Amino acid sequence: MASRRIEERRAQHQRYKEDVDRTGKPFFPHAMFHDTVMSLVVVSVIVGLAVVWYLDADGTEAGVLGPHYTEEADPGTTNFIPRPDWYFYFLFYLLRISKWPESVVLGTVGIPTIGLVLLLALPFLDLRRERRLFRRPVALVALLLVVLSMGVLTYKGATARESLGSELIEAVPVWAERQGFAGNDEAVEGAEIFAQAGCAQCHLYIGTGSQNLGAPELTDIGSGERGADYFARYVQNPAQFGNTVMPPYAALGEENLQKLGVFLDASKGTEER
Amino acid sequence: MATTPATRRKSPRRAQIEAAALYPLDWLEERSGLVGAIKYFLFRRVPRDTSWAQTLGSASLTAFLVQAITGVILAFYYKPDPDKAYESIQIITNDLTLGWLVRGMHRWGASVFIILMFLHMARVFLYGAYKYPRELNWIVGILLLVLGMAEGFTGYLLPWDQTAYWATVVGININGTAPFLGPFIAQFLQGGASIGADTLSKFYSIHMLVLPGAIAGLIGLHLYLVMRLGVTSPPWSPAEAGRERAPEPPSTNGREGLIRPSGRGGSNGE
Repeated sequence: MASRRIEERRAQHQRYKEDVDRTGKPFFPHAMFHDTVMSLVVVSVIVGLAVVWYLDADGTEAGVLGPHYTEEADPGTTNFIPRPDWYFYFLFYLLRISKWPESVVLGTVGIPTIGLVLLLALPFLDLRRERRLFRRPVALVALLLVVLSMGVLTYKGATARESLGSELIEAVPVWAERQGFAGNDEAVEGAEIFAQAGCAQCHLYIGTGSQNLGAPELTDIGSGERGADYFARYVQNPAQFGNTVMPPYAALGEENLQKLGVFLDASKGTEER
Repeated sequence: MATTPATRRKSPRRAQIEAAALYPLDWLEERSGLVGAIKYFLFRRVPRDTSWAQTLGSASLTAFLVQAITGVILAFYYKPDPDKAYESIQIITNDLTLGWLVRGMHRWGASVFIILMFLHMARVFLYGAYKYPRELNWIVGILLLVLGMAEGFTGYLLPWDQTAYWATVVGININGTAPFLGPFIAQFLQGGASIGADTLSKFYSIHMLVLPGAIAGLIGLHLYLVMRLGVTSPPWSPAEAGRERAPEPPSTNGREGLIRPSGRGGSNGE
């Protein structure tokens, strides 16, 4: 049976070669004309995008195609949304919807790896000679599902909104009151650092922020009585504590880390939660 | 090469001039076979129903060439050092003659390249063109797509602005969550306790040496396989090359137009 299939497809390729020899057209000039026109269109589109981008934006001020550049890199603050280029949005959004820690590995590595392996294995999974799409129902359904899910994930990734640090800082007095650390200056300053250093890009705090990369909610992180020092050392280098997802924030400096630690330790959780 | 029976009357003078003009080509052909190879490439036959849908591959190649050329020009002026990178990007964008155009083309060419590769892949999928005997070329194509996206990831850091920096922080940490090799790769890419000078020069080297080299090599292999195996016909085409035929007596002539139309419609037009 298997050998029959191999013979059949060899015969088909033989027929293909004979047909092309007999009735095919030379690549030059026929097919090459199409290729050349298409390539000119591609280059024109690229130049067009570059021109619109340049003319419509001004330095850090965004136009329709975004700014020429944002502020210079500063390891201390992320007063904005860390976001990859658009073709990684699907991955970016997959991370946002996976919850720490059980499904974050699935979201970051599992699903993309399985997808890639399936893609590489495709010619060995689909061994039929049939090429007409409507006679390949599994392939047709798979194609629609992949295009749909990639489209939805990319769209959700593009429209996902996170709070900016400057907006978050206005929430600090509310946090202080609800957590009951309003009288603790160090904790309040720590909360401001929390708001500005971009912690809420990944962590949820009393309903503010987002759960990116499956990071845990921090509203009642201090209820375990682990102490301010523990949190300061954790944030300084999470990898030491076995957390390889969260980046190190050693760049904040000892003093700021200590304040941040006091703030986190003072976050015992709001009562109604 | 020499005189053929059909040679028309030519003045010896003219023959001499022609021979002199063609001498460099003959010289090259004799020593390399390149002229023959190019002739083969240009005049090889493709199925007669080959059309616009099959231009997406060469369009991707064009986008890659745009990236290569603009990338080389950017490398003249870009400085992969955390203290100077941002400034050099500003100089390229604002001060250099047409620097904005080169950078803009590189920036947007990347997106166009990725889109074209995805469209090309979709076309190959729709046509079932990954099937025997083109399995290997499908795999090479997937590798090209992955390497192309890796180019996007490594290139994104180079402007050294906030967007670049923090997207890379997230990206490297995603790498770190991968099983087995993940933490190792993340540590290698970062090259230190946090993202800094080592990370930037590493990304730059990968972005402009390792990945483009690998992509160029794989494109060569990809094209070789296309030439060896041929372009697929659209599967719905009535003139599909390699289609099944109703059993018919062996034709003595072989000219399709002269075969009596069979019950299955035969070929009438495109």
